[in-house]
Amino acid sequence: WYTRLLHKQRTQEENLMSGTLESLSGLGEDGSSVGSDSEVNGMSVRRIDKYGFLGGNQYSETGEKEVRVEVARQREVKWLDMFCNWDKWIKHRFQKVKLRCRKGIPSSLRAKAWQLLSNSQELLDANPGKFEELEREPGEAKWLDIIEKDLHRQFPFHEMFAARGGHGQQDLFRILKAYTIYRPDEGYCQAQAPVAAVLLMHMPAEQAFWCLVQICEKYLPGYYSAGLEAIQLDGEIFFSLLRRTCPMAYRHLKKFKIDPILYMTEWFMCIFSRTLPWASVLRVWDMFFCEGVKIVFRVGLVLLKQILGSVDKLRELQGMYETMERLRNISPDAIREEILVQEIIILPVTESLIERECNVQVRKWRESRGELTHQPARRLHGTRAIFDYKRRAASISSGGSFSFLGSSIPAPGPLRASSKTLTQKIELKVCRNSSGAIEYVNMKSNYST
Amino acid sequence: MAYAYLFKYIIIGDTGVGKSCLLLQFTDKRFQPVHDLTIGVEFGARMITIDGKQIKLQIWDTAGQESFRSITRSYYRGAAGALLVYDITRRDTFNHLTTWLEDARQHSNSNMVIMLIGNKSDLESRREVKKEEGEAFAREHGLIFMETSAKTASNVEEAFINTAKEIYEKIQEGVFDINNEANGIKIGPQHPTTNSTLSGSQGGQHAGGGCC
Repeated sequence: WYTRLLHKQRTQEENLMSGTLESLSGLGEDGSSVGSDSEVNGMSVRRIDKYGFLGGNQYSETGEKEVRVEVARQREVKWLDMFCNWDKWIKHRFQKVKLRCRKGIPSSLRAKAWQLLSNSQELLDANPGKFEELEREPGEAKWLDIIEKDLHRQFPFHEMFAARGGHGQQDLFRILKAYTIYRPDEGYCQAQAPVAAVLLMHMPAEQAFWCLVQICEKYLPGYYSAGLEAIQLDGEIFFSLLRRTCPMAYRHLKKFKIDPILYMTEWFMCIFSRTLPWASVLRVWDMFFCEGVKIVFRVGLVLLKQILGSVDKLRELQGMYETMERLRNISPDAIREEILVQEIIILPVTESLIERECNVQVRKWRESRGELTHQPARRLHGTRAIFDYKRRAASISSGGSFSFLGSSIPAPGPLRASSKTLTQKIELKVCRNSSGAIEYVNMKSNYST
Repeated sequence: MAYAYLFKYIIIGDTGVGKSCLLLQFTDKRFQPVHDLTIGVEFGARMITIDGKQIKLQIWDTAGQESFRSITRSYYRGAAGALLVYDITRRDTFNHLTTWLEDARQHSNSNMVIMLIGNKSDLESRREVKKEEGEAFAREHGLIFMETSAKTASNVEEAFINTAKEIYEKIQEGVFDINNEANGIKIGPQHPTTNSTLSGSQGGQHAGGGCC
């Protein structure tokens, strides 16, 4: 089974490759993009790097430290073993899964792992044919126009997206359009496109679509909704976490009135996919799928610490302008894979700290700006939270009562769980969403002190 | 490199009108039709000379999509100049100018110089907005106006430099308070100061920010 899986993976990669190379020759129908065979999108083409980049900022030079073959093989076997008993691993040995994600998921199994970690695999299985159904819908012109304009502006130096109208851009269109129909209330936000593109680099369109759904709804709810309220709130949370983790960077940013929204929008909304070298992007995403938004906060904090964390570094950044320039052009030394990952792992920023800070910031927001339109407490912190949530919801839908933090909750839903010992009051409801897909919706969730 | 003044600019307008291409043409003198979509804000800088003085333009290029509007507003603060861009081949981008202008006026300082730009002038055959319409809109709202092409570089230099000239004139007239950074103007580091805490007295290139 193992060999078959790897073989399948390889065949997929080969198909992908040939499709790309063929379509590359069709580049530049307006005559503007390609000067000669050795030029793509205005860049001279080097050897394609191992991630599929032809050039650009995220091109990886060779000479990176590679994991030894035996180690790589061993990791693959361990992951395949986990795949076979996935739910058990999450339920009983989640710490081990987390550790393995932190070590990096083997690239041959990354797609499958991301789908299991995000539970998008199950969503896909529970909604057969749904994606095709969404594809058949015409979609709203106002979204389609913007999506079409954005297709050639996502990782233009990646072999999959370099060709105008190539298969990468076509798939990108399919899933972004499908999402606007799946969630007409949300539509399309431009920051979704790079996220979708990263997914497409690893898996077919239908799988990427459900994975995107999980990111937008479970991991980062509200990030891509009109008004961008969630990202602004996270900016405030981020800034106060910075105060704890790196007071020097905090004071510097405060002194020059550099609001978090100025530098963290792209970092957070694109999950660092356009900021870090590719090897680091993948490691961050491996951890993000497992541990959730905490990782995003940590990466941002580590970056600020590296860029603004010493007197020496601040000496030449005497002003908003200089600081912003530095934050937009992070030196590669600060973001080398191994160092970065190590720093992320040791940073003491936990889920509960984030939640606590979230409550504080929500209160401030309400005082200064009024009610929030999104529900910050809907966010689930990674695989384990999604898994627990799923079990609670399944228990309600099956009509039985279930135990949550030691207190029995009556069924059926929608219902309210409440107890003196609970720190969280949750209303759960199992329902089909507007587009008819089975969805478990956390109706309301408030934190009490 | 040392500068006499630093001006902050912001580029605004609908998605896909060519904001990032204008910036790249101005800073790097090249047209790159294929580039990453702007999410949040991008930066560019270039040195120009006005009246024998070196002026550094720091340019903030913003995301154009409607949903980013709420955060784009926070970028206006401290801008001395704004380039408001529409696409002459897409009427809707022209129709949205009023909303953009309202936003700009509401969230920036009142002296901010606004240049209206009709971009993609090389695509004459696909033109949907007449040059006269752009001129009329600019006249009506007290803006400077130009049609540009980021592709052929036509008028790109002029657009950025004329805006700077206007700001410079306002400084000469005393309209801008140059000691308040919130106006988007900063006095360069080579002005004599008594600040001796910064080391490296030779050259004193600290705040130049590199080779831009």
